[in-house]
Amino acid sequence: MPPTFPGSPRRAAGWAAALAGGLVLLALPGLVNPYLLFQACLVMVTATAGLGLVLIMGWSGQIALAQAGFLGVGAYTTTYLVAQGWPWPLATVTAGLVAALAGVLIGLPATRLRGFYLAIATLAFAELMIRVFVEAVPVTGGIAGVAVEAVVLPGIDVDGSRWYLCLAVAAVTTVAVVRAGRAGLGRRLRVVRDAEIAAPSLGISPMRTKLLAFALSAFIGGVAGALYAQCLSYLTPEIFDMGLLIEFLVLAFLGGVGYVVGPFLGAIVVVVLRDLLQDLGSWQRLVYGLILALAIAFLPRGLASLPARLRDRRRAPERPVTAAAS
Amino acid sequence: MWQQIISGLQAGSWYSLMALAIVLVLKATDVPNFAMAELGLLPAFCTWALIDGAGLSWWAAVPAGLLIGVVLAVVVERTAIRPILAENHFATVLMTIAVFVVINAVVQLVWGSEPRKIDSPFAGSFTVAGQIVAYEQLLSIGAGLAVTVALVLFFRTPLGVRMQAIAEDRVTPRLLGVSVTTVFRTSWALAGAIATIALLLQGQASLLTDQNGSGLLIKGFVAATLGGFSSVIGAFVGGLALGVAENLAGAYVSTSSKTAIALLAIVVVLAVKPQGLFGRHQAREV
Repeated sequence: MPPTFPGSPRRAAGWAAALAGGLVLLALPGLVNPYLLFQACLVMVTATAGLGLVLIMGWSGQIALAQAGFLGVGAYTTTYLVAQGWPWPLATVTAGLVAALAGVLIGLPATRLRGFYLAIATLAFAELMIRVFVEAVPVTGGIAGVAVEAVVLPGIDVDGSRWYLCLAVAAVTTVAVVRAGRAGLGRRLRVVRDAEIAAPSLGISPMRTKLLAFALSAFIGGVAGALYAQCLSYLTPEIFDMGLLIEFLVLAFLGGVGYVVGPFLGAIVVVVLRDLLQDLGSWQRLVYGLILALAIAFLPRGLASLPARLRDRRRAPERPVTAAAS
Repeated sequence: MWQQIISGLQAGSWYSLMALAIVLVLKATDVPNFAMAELGLLPAFCTWALIDGAGLSWWAAVPAGLLIGVVLAVVVERTAIRPILAENHFATVLMTIAVFVVINAVVQLVWGSEPRKIDSPFAGSFTVAGQIVAYEQLLSIGAGLAVTVALVLFFRTPLGVRMQAIAEDRVTPRLLGVSVTTVFRTSWALAGAIATIALLLQGQASLLTDQNGSGLLIKGFVAATLGGFSSVIGAFVGGLALGVAENLAGAYVSTSSKTAIALLAIVVVLAVKPQGLFGRHQAREV
């Protein structure tokens, strides 16, 4: 018997599409070749890290430039802990907590102040992290790098295991971020972003709210880093440098940080671009920079805002009439 | 010890100049400019090319480089920043990052990643009380001091006063006939020239690579944070303090502690005295 869906036929169609999409994602290892599956893993990991940016950049309107650094912290911590004999899930959560702790230390002074202090403090942190990855040879292997032990789920091959891990974490993060957005945190963050001075009169502490968002964003970054390590299978410090930061900015801005689908759209663009431009070095950065500039100039709310903007445009001719009437 | 302090003051002067350029743009347009160092990097490479490739003398190439710096900054302000300044603050800040990435990529594409050195007529050194002082070091410190004094004087001129008025309030000065466009353009032009001076000094005293920009940018931001982001003298002293602290830490603690000093300075200053060592408390708009 087919399940019954509540609401309108349109809503039922939406549920059916989501169900079909979910089934395709679950069956993906059997549908595409390993190379495409690997690219899909990267999309999920990148989008997960991007969801962290939705919290901090989209909802609280703060510019955080350390997501690549948090990814590195997560990747190295998990790899180290697993090598010490920890089970992978526990190591990953711990890595997330370590990243969140680093986030609090950086954010604590910066979130009390005007927005751009966080941008500067996080940029300095990201730069420092690269040095730490180079210097902390016992943990990170320094410039030579360190190999990552692959997690293999029972009964599934390495590629499939990696995919299901990435999919599961991306799904859990998406649900968590959507729920947080609907419930208290998302609303509190938007109040702080749009009316910081008024927020305390609503019983909202701007500093505590921003700091919580930043810590969560760092946690998500750390967990995404653990998955990123699984994708790369070998970690070196320069993986987490300025280039990755710029990819995240392209992702955040092109996808649209205000929306939960934004990071997924952005992640697809970034992963495809990386694949297309991988041997082109400086050209890659030039293209990223130009895309970022054009996106800011012409699509300030990202790809995810396109449907709403197109709808507005279709309605646009009516506007002068109503304006004249009122 | 004295040797470390002198090299610290030299590097600190570059940080000061970068901080001054950042503060200048921030004061007028309220944008923390992440492209600031890159706006000096490209002109510095052009100057190197004029000397090494075109065979110009230093005395001819440096003014040309400064001119390129001014033009570049004005063009970036006009094409990338001003059209979106009304949009929102967030977009403008990210736009400066995009400009940073584009200019850096262009420098990499044209000149590659090998280090260069700008030939200057100030090679050599002299000895004072047993300490070796290079002429380059005096030039850097002197240039930092000169630019600081010039800026302090500039902010007392009618244009400088207008610039500060625009930073405080974007509407009222306009009613009194102050052109916002002129103020924005002037601040970017001056900042472009100052950033070029910083990169030129670094490029002729040590080496010029495509990475110099991002390094100086962070140091400039740290110095500006130390100085409180509103004070010209604060930015100058902040840069010198950072340079000396880094060099002493590098010599007496470990080479790798040098990078940590910058972050440590930011975190401590923001936690203890958020308005910076020289900043004034700024009331926020409701």
